[in-house]
Amino acid sequence: MTSTSSNAQSSNSQSSSPLAAKPGQPGIDPRGPRFGATITVVLLAIDVFLGLTGVSTTSGTTLAQRATDPAFILLVILTLIFAWGAFAGIQRHPYGAIFKRFIRPNLSAPSELEDPKPPTFAQLIGFIVTGVGVVLALVGVPYGLVVAAAFAFVAAFLNSVFAYCLGCQIYVLLVRAGILGRKAA
Amino acid sequence: MDPLVVALVLVGLVALATVIGLVVRGREGRVREVHDFRRVIPAELDTPEHFGISATLVQFSTEMCAKCPATRELLSKTALEHAGVRHIDVDVTHRPDIANSFNIMQTPTTLVLDSSGAIAARIGGAPRPDALIQALNIAQRKEHDLYVI
Repeated sequence: MTSTSSNAQSSNSQSSSPLAAKPGQPGIDPRGPRFGATITVVLLAIDVFLGLTGVSTTSGTTLAQRATDPAFILLVILTLIFAWGAFAGIQRHPYGAIFKRFIRPNLSAPSELEDPKPPTFAQLIGFIVTGVGVVLALVGVPYGLVVAAAFAFVAAFLNSVFAYCLGCQIYVLLVRAGILGRKAA
Repeated sequence: MDPLVVALVLVGLVALATVIGLVVRGREGRVREVHDFRRVIPAELDTPEHFGISATLVQFSTEMCAKCPATRELLSKTALEHAGVRHIDVDVTHRPDIANSFNIMQTPTTLVLDSSGAIAARIGGAPRPDALIQALNIAQRKEHDLYVI
C-alpha cells in the first residue's frame, strides 16, 4: 500500500466524503425501504405457509408438480421483485412507488435522508437468498424453499420492525471473505 | 402438514426474529471496554492522519453502510467539541486486511484509542451519544499507562 492511495480521511474535512451519497443522487426517505420490507414480510410469511402446506416439503414429486406449487410461484415473484430492487436500484422499486404515491403524502418530512446504495445491496442479498430457494424447490430438495423463505422472512422482519438492515451488515463480512470490495487492479 | 404445526412454525419465526431484533437493538451502539491493550499506529489504518493527543475515535466504514454517514457526523462533532480528540474514518471496502486485523463484524464500528494509541473501548453499530462520552472517559482514565509494551 503506497502513501498516495490512502483510504482514510480526517473528520475535519467535511466535504467530498467518498462514503456519502453521490452528488446529484439525493438520499432517499429511509421509511420507504422499511415500508417495502413490511410488504415483503407479509408475502414471505404467506410463502412459508404455502410451502409447509404444499408439495415442497416432500420428495418424489414431479417437475410439473413443483413448478405449479403456489409456494414456488409466489417465491419466483418475490425473487423477481428483489431482482428489480437490486438491479434497477431501490429508488425504482415498485413498493417504493406505492410508498411515494400513497404513504409518504400522509407522513411528515423525513428527519434524515439515507444513501440508496445499502438498501439496494440488501435487495441483492434478498434476491440471492430467495433465488437459492427457487432453485432448491425446482430441483426438488425437501424444505429448501421453506428454509430460504424463512431466512428472507427474518431479514425482512428485522428491517421492517427494528430498522436493522441485515443485508447491509453482511457486506463487510463478504469484504472480509474476499468476495466483495477487492481492488480491480 | 398439520395446520397446528404450520401455525407454530410461523409463530416461532416471528418470535425468533423478534428476539434477534431485541438482542441487536440492546447491543447496538453500546460501549465494550477492551482490555487486551493493543496499541495501534496510524500506518496500520493506512492513514496520513495523526492520532489525537488525548484520544482518537477510529471509525470503520464501508461504501454499503446505512448508518456510517450519520456516525461520521456524530464522531467528527464529538472530536471538535473535545480538545485533543480526533476522528479518523477508515473505509475498509477495499481493505479486508484492515477489517480482519481489527475483527470488524459490522459497520460502523468505532474503536476509542487512548493517548498512547491503545484500544480502550469498542462500539459496534451507530454509537449512542452517551456511549461515546462513556468511551472517551474510559480512554482518558489513563489506566492504560499501567501496562508495559
